[in-house]
Amino acid sequence: MALNKKMRQFFFPSLTPKFLIRVSAVALFAYLFFGHICTPLLIKGKSMEPTYQNGSFNFCWKWRYLFLKPKRCEVVAVRFAGSKVMLLKRVVALEGERVEFRQGKLFVDAKEMDEPYVHYPCHWNLPPRKVEKDCLYVVGDNRNMPIENHFFGQASMKRIVGVPLW
Amino acid sequence: MVRLKYIIIGALVVVIGILAAIYFFPSEEKKIRKQFRLLAEWVSKDPGENTFTMAYKIKNIGTLFDGTCEFKIPVYSFSGSYTPEEISSYAVQGRLSFSQLYLKFYDLDIVFQEKGIAKVTLTAKLTGKSNVGEYIDEAHELESLLKKVEKRWLFSKFEVVEVLKK
Repeated sequence: MALNKKMRQFFFPSLTPKFLIRVSAVALFAYLFFGHICTPLLIKGKSMEPTYQNGSFNFCWKWRYLFLKPKRCEVVAVRFAGSKVMLLKRVVALEGERVEFRQGKLFVDAKEMDEPYVHYPCHWNLPPRKVEKDCLYVVGDNRNMPIENHFFGQASMKRIVGVPLW
Repeated sequence: MVRLKYIIIGALVVVIGILAAIYFFPSEEKKIRKQFRLLAEWVSKDPGENTFTMAYKIKNIGTLFDGTCEFKIPVYSFSGSYTPEEISSYAVQGRLSFSQLYLKFYDLDIVFQEKGIAKVTLTAKLTGKSNVGEYIDEAHELESLLKKVEKRWLFSKFEVVEVLKK
C-alpha cells in the first residue's frame, strides 16, 4: 500500500511549491547545460570517418577553449552556419604555419606529418599556403574523395566553438 | 464596481490598439523577415505541384529583387549580377530539376547600415529530392543586402560566407 502510494507520488506528484521550484531548477540547469555548455550533436556526413561515423551522436563541449587554445591533431567543432550547423574537423596546422598536401601526404612547414587517424587512401595535392593570424587549418579524416568535394581549409578562431565530448 | 469595469474595458482597448498597431504598422525588421519568408515559400516546391501554383510562385519571385541583384554563390557556381526577370528564369530552371525542394531561412541577424539599406546574416537550409532521385540537404551561412525602394525591402545581394578557405 505504502509502495503503491510512493509510486503514485513519483509518477503523479502533487504540485506543491517545493516541487515546482525543483522542476524549474532542473529545467533551467538543463537549458543552460545542454543549450550553452554541452550541446547535443547529430553527425551528418562522412568527412570524419572512421573517427566519427555518419549518423552518430555526440555532444559539443563548449568550455574546452575557455582558457586553452586548440592544438594540432585535436578534433574541433567549427561554426558553419547560424548557431546550429557545425563542422567536425581536425586541426592540422596552427597560425603562421605553412600547410600543403603532396600525393595525399600532409606537410606542415615542409615536414611530413604522421597522421594515424587517416585510414583511407588519399591522393590530394595542394600547393603550400600560410595559415593567417587568428586562424587554424582544419581537415576531415576521410580524404578518400576528390579534393574539390571535401570541405576543409582555414577557419577563423572565432568560429571554433568546442570539441566533441568523446 | 463600475469603475473597475471601465478600467478593464480601457485596458482591453489599449491592448487591442497595441496589437493592431503591431499588425498594421510592422517594424522594418518584421518587413525584412517577411521578404525572406516569401522568398523561401516561393522557391520551395511540393511534390506534384500544379502549373498554376508554379506560375504564381515564379511570377512573384522576381518582385522581391531590386533592379539588379548580385549573387556570389560559388558552391553552386552561381555568380554575377542579374535582373529580376533573369532570376525568375533561373528559378524556373532550378525548380524543374527537383521533384521537391524546400528552402528555409533562420537565425536572421538584421543590421541597418544606413537609411534604406539593411545587411542580414542568416542561415539558409536547402533540402529536397532531384528528378534523378538524389537527396540534397545543405545549409550555408549567407550575407544579404536589402534596399528599401518605394516602401518595399528588395534583395540586392546574396553572398555565401566562406567559412573554410582552402
